Amino acid sequence: MESLGDTLWDVVICGTGLQQSLLALALSRSDKKILHLDPNDFYGGAEAAFSLQDAESWAARVATGTGGLFRSASIVRPEDATGSTSRAYSLALAPKLIHARSALLSQLVSSRAYRQVEFLAVGSFHIFKPSQDPVQPSSLARIPSTREEVFSTSAVSTKAKRLLMKFLKFVLNYESSPQLDLWQQHADAPLTQLLQQEFKVDSELQAYIVTLTLSLDGKITTRDGLAVIRRHLSSMGVYGPGFAALYPKWGGLSEIAQVSCRAGAVGGAVYMLGTGIKAMEKVGEETELQLTSGDKVKTRLLVQADDNPSGQTETGISRLVAVIASPLTSQFEASVEGAPRPAVTITAFPAGSLSTTSGKASEYPVYLSAHSSDTGECPLGQSVLYLTTLSIPDAKDILQQALNAFRGVSGDDQALQVLYQLQYEQLSGSKTIQTDGSTITLPTPSLSLSLEDSILGPVHEAWEKVMGDAAVEAEYMAFSDREGVMDDDDVYDE
Amino acid sequence: MADSGNAPKPSSSVKLVLLGEAAVGKSSLVLRFVNNDFQENKEPTIGAAFLTQKCNLPTRTIKFEIWDTAGQERFASLAPMYYRNAQAALVVYDLTKPTSLIKAKHWVAELQRQASPGIVISLVGNKLDLTNDGAGDGGGEEGAAEDSGDARKVTTEEAKTYAEDEGLLFFETSAKTGYNVTEVFTAIANSIPETSLKTARGPNASHAPSRTEEQRVNLNGPRDSGAKDSCAC
Repeated sequence: MESLGDTLWDVVICGTGLQQSLLALALSRSDKKILHLDPNDFYGGAEAAFSLQDAESWAARVATGTGGLFRSASIVRPEDATGSTSRAYSLALAPKLIHARSALLSQLVSSRAYRQVEFLAVGSFHIFKPSQDPVQPSSLARIPSTREEVFSTSAVSTKAKRLLMKFLKFVLNYESSPQLDLWQQHADAPLTQLLQQEFKVDSELQAYIVTLTLSLDGKITTRDGLAVIRRHLSSMGVYGPGFAALYPKWGGLSEIAQVSCRAGAVGGAVYMLGTGIKAMEKVGEETELQLTSGDKVKTRLLVQADDNPSGQTETGISRLVAVIASPLTSQFEASVEGAPRPAVTITAFPAGSLSTTSGKASEYPVYLSAHSSDTGECPLGQSVLYLTTLSIPDAKDILQQALNAFRGVSGDDQALQVLYQLQYEQLSGSKTIQTDGSTITLPTPSLSLSLEDSILGPVHEAWEKVMGDAAVEAEYMAFSDREGVMDDDDVYDE
Repeated sequence: MADSGNAPKPSSSVKLVLLGEAAVGKSSLVLRFVNNDFQENKEPTIGAAFLTQKCNLPTRTIKFEIWDTAGQERFASLAPMYYRNAQAALVVYDLTKPTSLIKAKHWVAELQRQASPGIVISLVGNKLDLTNDGAGDGGGEEGAAEDSGDARKVTTEEAKTYAEDEGLLFFETSAKTGYNVTEVFTAIANSIPETSLKTARGPNASHAPSRTEEQRVNLNGPRDSGAKDSCAC
């Protein structure tokens, strides 16, 4: 067999995060010579999913300051309270939801990669209502986001229902003429300003609407906010009644990354984990890479991701992953008849609804994504809670408060024992693709809680560079099933 | 042959990965199982291959999602992404090549260490057609039999004892003649606990109330539950 160094690679892809993996999928039928590396000894990069043991070694590495975009990782595990094997868990670093209208789903379908992914429904969005007085305890209210739900909800007043209905109707056609005039003057101002000035929506209802955007600072602009809410509304019911978003089983985007790499391997790409690039040198048209494994390889193109934090003021997010000793049954009930049972639900704690141990009100929203064991991320009878807020000095404390508040109101009468906690910070970085000669650097993974289609553009761009002239006639991500794969719907054996 | 037109049997997907040294016949076993075909001098698998095949049991249908990996994969970087979440593994050796059994034992150890808890592992000694047992009625152990044209180098006894010690299913097969091939897959299908199939696949799904892929969202659009599955081709 040829050694690595004897081959002139068309492209070396470094890293197996979502974007690099999607590139491997896009190139999987191209007959290009592809070497796919990852300095980590696991797949998925910033979108990986970990067993408890993996998480432990990852956290230990982050603690040494070599965690790239990650820092301040710590684990609390009271005396092995989980009682199950480490491998019964698959904790996601990026538990993002994918809206039904996401272009990623269309690409997974047209590339046939979707066959290997099990998609689960993301259920209702809830909002946390803190206790106003001793008589009325804190509670969770479901956010009505369809016309039917607005009609049937008892969470908001009749007046609010009318306003909400008016707003939802507006969003559905917000890019056409009469609606356009209404919001454009507010385009770059916070969405809340539009809601307040043009729709006379009170602050409580504003919080409901902003929650649908999953805005990390709660200050999403009108322009972005309307786009996100429209996506949410138009995603409703696309793949079945009662849900707008999906979540891939076995650790979210990690699973998409692995399925994409598998497609790459089936197409003949060579995979090396635990191998990074030590040095590179331009030799004529080619780039010579010295790998950490000691090998030297030559390639026409190198595609990597920007794993360096930007150092901007926009720091990042703080996360708390908690394993709970309860199936949280009431959280995961189908909202309408005929809907699949959701495996994921979202709860938002609006700014100001929590307070730190020293009594300071929370400055930014906290989002909690609850995952049932159907996600394959924890054993039966347990749940995984992923809490996220903007990284500020109080973030860790606020996340704990949110976790406690959720345990108090989640409507499950079992004592919600916390079996395991993983905390970390993730930093943001560059948002654009950079090309420097034959080196393409993909943007840093975004921190958003739902998958943004904007991550797909750079992958397409990198694909065009690798394909060169062939990109003109090749269709992007459009493949037929490989031989030996039958269609579920039209083949039935004897 | 169509089912008798009754209510459709529950159908579940099972992710199965094939592991083993190069040239022991992994892809040939799959080819025999999926297409009932055999190719002499088959090209080595590059990277990996993905195939599907249904297996009809009396009470349910198992749809195998088969990941066939390249035995000559150099950097041990592929297998982890195939056995991740796999419910079954077929570890293959060539019963005319003792070193391939050693490699198979390495794979078994790695699966026991890294794969999902509860994964069903089957050890398969392939190329039975090259032995005196032929691909006939199977069975009997042989001593050294070079002179009789018997190429067997791994006794049934040795592999079987090892498989029993490790709690593995065990078969000797011939992908060439088809001997015992379907049996391997049927045995695996039968060994996956019924309860673990109901919620969905996965090691954590035992003791679940009976549901069959009720939650899986189909990206081909919502479909009328089960109705389509029941029609024969």
